[in-house]
Amino acid sequence: MKINSVQQQNFKGRLADAATKSVGNLIAEHPVAVAGLAGSSVIAQKIVMSGSEAVIGPVIDIGIGKAITKVAKEKDGRTNQSSKVQAVRTFAQSVGGTIVGVAIRAICIAAAVKGCMTIGSKAGSELGKVLNPDKLSSGAQKYQYSEKMGAWGKALGGALATVVMLFTNFVVDAPFINWINTKTMEFVTKKPATKNIEQKKETQNAKEAK
Amino acid sequence: MSFNLAKFVDNFNPEKDAGKVLLVLNAAGMLFAAASNTFAAAADKNTSAEDKKFLVPSGIVTGAANIALYYKLTQKIMDRLKDVANTHIANLSDNELAQKAKELALAKINKAEKGFLGTGLFKKKPDLIQSMKDTLLTKDGIATEAAINEFKKQLPNGASVMGAFIGAVIGSAIITPIIRDISAYFVQKGMEKRNPHLKDVPYKPYFDPAHIESRRYGHYKKQPLSMKNYMAFTNSKLKI
Repeated sequence: MKINSVQQQNFKGRLADAATKSVGNLIAEHPVAVAGLAGSSVIAQKIVMSGSEAVIGPVIDIGIGKAITKVAKEKDGRTNQSSKVQAVRTFAQSVGGTIVGVAIRAICIAAAVKGCMTIGSKAGSELGKVLNPDKLSSGAQKYQYSEKMGAWGKALGGALATVVMLFTNFVVDAPFINWINTKTMEFVTKKPATKNIEQKKETQNAKEAK
Repeated sequence: MSFNLAKFVDNFNPEKDAGKVLLVLNAAGMLFAAASNTFAAAADKNTSAEDKKFLVPSGIVTGAANIALYYKLTQKIMDRLKDVANTHIANLSDNELAQKAKELALAKINKAEKGFLGTGLFKKKPDLIQSMKDTLLTKDGIATEAAINEFKKQLPNGASVMGAFIGAVIGSAIITPIIRDISAYFVQKGMEKRNPHLKDVPYKPYFDPAHIESRRYGHYKKQPLSMKNYMAFTNSKLKI
């Protein structure tokens, strides 16, 4: 157990080393640009994350499928086949999730920024004390006040979006991602997706039954 | 034990560590997504109780391993980058510090003049821009004490945000697919071992209980959840 824990620690340490070594110099060479990142919100994070996922994720899916097929000496190539379908799904999820996710995050952040701007000026309220402990004036110290409340709005708006998306995932994301998945599958295989054919058959059967 | 809203809100204080706020929110999103997928597997009426005994724990283990690895790794990267940033600040002379603070102030003013303000609201506000200029630069165009303090505060915060971005990329584009695909293979094999007929069930990639919006996919429900289907199902990875 101890060995595992040490190995895991070393693995994470090595990964972190590799990741930080290459970007460490960036901080020294471009400190102003890096400092500018401080104001980034969950929207930027989502775009960076999903963008890379849409590009790298499918490649990894297919690579893992090939590796498993080789290691397990699978003759029917089922895992390989599954991985190709998964690659399309990963792409659809990244694209669909980003479009919906960015829109919801933007709405929640805009609402939270407005809310913080109002609450922060109410020095007497409990929440106002947390958001604006230095009692910055929204008039005389307009810049500092706006900057601070803007940062709070981005953080709290991100938290609000996480909760909102618990619901929108099912209502908006799911059908949208399935639609992108079907379209991508049709584009990749150059033929209508199975779902569409089966849906048509189902509708036909239902009509005939009537 | 009463809920203290002010104390709860303070956990998201961006001034303490902007990167950590992003990390915590992303991890919370991943946790909710993994929980809803596992819950969907547990609630699916067409999966046998025996299979659920296998699917649900594997969903929990995979989700937990994925989130834990992402969180720990990202935290490590963020901490190291913050150290690099703090060391860089400590090594700067007063003149260099003032110069960098001025560059940051000018970059912010320039951005604001183009209509992008740090408040998240894209509106050009002349009075706010003027207040920004008065706060960050002297009349001679030299960085003020406030601008220097802002640079000192923002560089480690920016480095931390950069670490959160790198961790998110490694987590979502590398760690998640690897853990997901390998675990899906073993779950698939386990299911096929107990239900040999599943090997012959044609693959229906659109079977996805978590994503069923109506009864349109009713015909799929007549079949047990095959492991190839499970792969699409477990990977539905609802986006948060």
